[in-house]
Amino acid sequence: MSVRWDRAAAAHLARRAGFGGTPAEIDALLAMGLEAAVSSFVAYDTIENSALEADLIRLTTPAPPATTATYDLNTTSGIQKWFLHRMVFTRRPLEEKMTLLWNNHFTSGIAKVNDATLILKQNKTERSLAIDRFDDLVLAITKDPAMILWLDNRTNVKGRPNENYARELMELFTLGVDRYTQKDVSDLARALTGWTIAKPDAAPVSEYAFSFNAAAHDAGVKTILGQTGNWNADEAIGILLNATDARGSISGRFLAGKLWTWFVYHDPPDWAIAEIASVYVSSGHSVRAMLDHLFRMPEFYEPHSRQALVRSPVEYIVAPLRQLEAKTDLSTPVASLNPMGQSLFNPLDAKGWEGDLDWVNTGTVFARATYTNSLVTNRGATGTRIDVAALLAGKSLSTARDVVSALADRLGLADALPASQAVWEKYVDSKADGSRGYWTNTPAAVDQKVRGLLHLMLTSPDYHLC
Amino acid sequence: MSFSRRDFLLRSAGFVTVSAMVPKWSVAASRGFEAVEADAAASERTLVILELMGGNDGLNTVIPYADAKYGQLRSRIGIPSNTVLPLDSKLGLHPKMTGLKALWDAQRVAVVENVGYPNSSLSHFASRDIWHTADPSLVEHRGWLGRWADANLAGNGNPLSCTAISSSLPRTLLADNVQVPSFLTLATYSYQTDGAAAGDRNNQVNTFLKQSSQEYELPTAADAVGQLGEDAIASSNVLQTVGSGYVAAGTYPANSLGSALLLIAQIVNANVGARILYATYGGFDNHAAEDQAHDPLVQNVSDAIKAFFDDLDGHGKAHNVLLMTWSEFGRRAQDNASNGTDHGTSAPHFVVGDAVGAGIYGNSPNLTNLDSNGNLLVENDFRSYYGTILADWLKADSAAILGSGWPNLGFLNKRYV
Repeated sequence: MSVRWDRAAAAHLARRAGFGGTPAEIDALLAMGLEAAVSSFVAYDTIENSALEADLIRLTTPAPPATTATYDLNTTSGIQKWFLHRMVFTRRPLEEKMTLLWNNHFTSGIAKVNDATLILKQNKTERSLAIDRFDDLVLAITKDPAMILWLDNRTNVKGRPNENYARELMELFTLGVDRYTQKDVSDLARALTGWTIAKPDAAPVSEYAFSFNAAAHDAGVKTILGQTGNWNADEAIGILLNATDARGSISGRFLAGKLWTWFVYHDPPDWAIAEIASVYVSSGHSVRAMLDHLFRMPEFYEPHSRQALVRSPVEYIVAPLRQLEAKTDLSTPVASLNPMGQSLFNPLDAKGWEGDLDWVNTGTVFARATYTNSLVTNRGATGTRIDVAALLAGKSLSTARDVVSALADRLGLADALPASQAVWEKYVDSKADGSRGYWTNTPAAVDQKVRGLLHLMLTSPDYHLC
Repeated sequence: MSFSRRDFLLRSAGFVTVSAMVPKWSVAASRGFEAVEADAAASERTLVILELMGGNDGLNTVIPYADAKYGQLRSRIGIPSNTVLPLDSKLGLHPKMTGLKALWDAQRVAVVENVGYPNSSLSHFASRDIWHTADPSLVEHRGWLGRWADANLAGNGNPLSCTAISSSLPRTLLADNVQVPSFLTLATYSYQTDGAAAGDRNNQVNTFLKQSSQEYELPTAADAVGQLGEDAIASSNVLQTVGSGYVAAGTYPANSLGSALLLIAQIVNANVGARILYATYGGFDNHAAEDQAHDPLVQNVSDAIKAFFDDLDGHGKAHNVLLMTWSEFGRRAQDNASNGTDHGTSAPHFVVGDAVGAGIYGNSPNLTNLDSNGNLLVENDFRSYYGTILADWLKADSAAILGSGWPNLGFLNKRYV
């Protein structure tokens, strides 16, 4: 079985490994062929991205006489804008897609951590280690100040263990529920005692850094997943990530399931999990290798794998901004996150958002439509907006069908149901009273119907999925 | 009466005004409202939750005015005893709460005193989650009414069974199998279209309905998302119709709480089978200058609740509605040097409606026996507070939701129980 590499397959890869592509980006992927196209996402550390970094320095530095930056990184909305800006404008979409995954996996909420700087630091840690050796990421997160605050390891001390982090480290982060006993939790918590944070007395919370408090560390013998010794936290993490059962690596299967659910579809088949977990083992726990394998699997491109995921609010914001090459200061997108149900950096609890159909209810369907309506109907010179003329440059717009195909291609909906395409054509050609015969290519008609059609396409079931 | 996606497609075919379409659940829910008596089926009862965010100062809401200790502890911001609105010889309402006092005089208010939970967390974050989930161990993911909704509403197809007037979903209503819309205004609960192309709006809404009702070949989520789109339009139309012609029979305060309770009254009057409606009102974290901040807050709460019940009375709906308040904690017994109060523990809460057995449930707060932080001791566990409402108003198995062992506080009138 091999992958049929066509334009639809390239668009699918762009939606999943990134946030969706423009027609030009899809054309470029198609021309590369499957192997090079996958590499263009996965080998992202070779992609020049300095323009993004330069923009972010400018946007996060106050320009005198202003005393606060455009993106004020001391605030929740500031770091939300910073992260969304990266997703919208990066040339390395998989880097941000993976950071978004870790943001919801090794998650910490600002409501409890109560410091945007520490939350941002966690996000940067997740990005810097996003596709490297999984062990390095787990270790870095275990030492992350926001995580230590969020899951209470600060209060986990010799003689009075707090099991919160130890339990989630196994249940949510590396192994999955029921892969350990309560005794394992207790002894892992003991291994983690003394892994805390510290700062100079007068310093603000934002200056908390990891600190090992030897006096608070329980140096006694622990038994974790059957292995007995005087384990410290590094060694304990190694035990977790190297643990096996009759079917092989437990963390490998756990991580394979996580990646499959994030990139392919829910309820992964056992054979796919086993295949990707074997890459985890053979590559020495390389997330990069797992992804490189996953994006080349024929199963990834099967019809039942396409349009199988519900776009999260963040993805629903980022995808049209990229595909429509919108201009944005990220104000409206950030204000739209909460009504859509994803207060970025502020999940309900340590499990993160469940995702999938939990993202949509009648209220959030309207909130999504309200956001995309503002995106496509902002005719002003500021804020989040699109350039209709630029989107249509060089396109023939003689008929309603021309309009539909131009915009469907733009939004990656060329394969939407024929019935939907017909409904959209009818819309473009409908007068105010509903009768047909409206469409002629005039500036007024373009201004009204192109914006209206973009909004309809962006609120279609097809576009809520990816 | 069943109502398939195909029916919907047929009805929405051609150029029709969408308000002509009546969703199945609104027909079912409107059955028999005229004949409702005190013993109405529990399935027609509505519970309104009012969350006072930030930790309301219970001691300056229901004031132990006869206790000399109160004046000592509240030397800076205490309410003078001769100004309170007496409920009995010990307790009185804040002088700004004349609206709630009128409801009290009409035998429609139960005051449940000293409600809290053991080993109170003084963190807003933790305490709020504990109240939302009714689980002090913070293991339970769903909200306490989310668990009730999963057991009682899952699969009923009604998108307005539970609704939050809130910018995001309150965790109290977080369920596994019931989706709860949350929105702040009727305007945001609608399919917004290009304001510069008003003449095209009908085309756009009709097209949205048609694209939402396509049948997808693969068993993808597209059908489910499309169904939500149809439900959203249908439920919005019902609410917009009620909202546009609505004449309130009460005078709501001009603030977010007044707007929220007005919207809730409109949803009740839309007869859409609403069971749980949720409003939030913030600003109660009065660490400083509480003497200025708290008066308007409690007045707004009191005025809004009074307007809400006036409105329900005017529409003949009050008998099927019960309102309850909660807040993540009360406040420190002693005021602080900034003329404010710090985080506390237990506090009084209000249950309002025709169904209550009017009165005070619990004792006047004990101001001499405080915990090591100077906070009040809990008298009534919040699970008893919730459990009484679950068992007696929603007719639910409260032990299945909250665990057993929480005594019923008996604040609902026996005619309704």
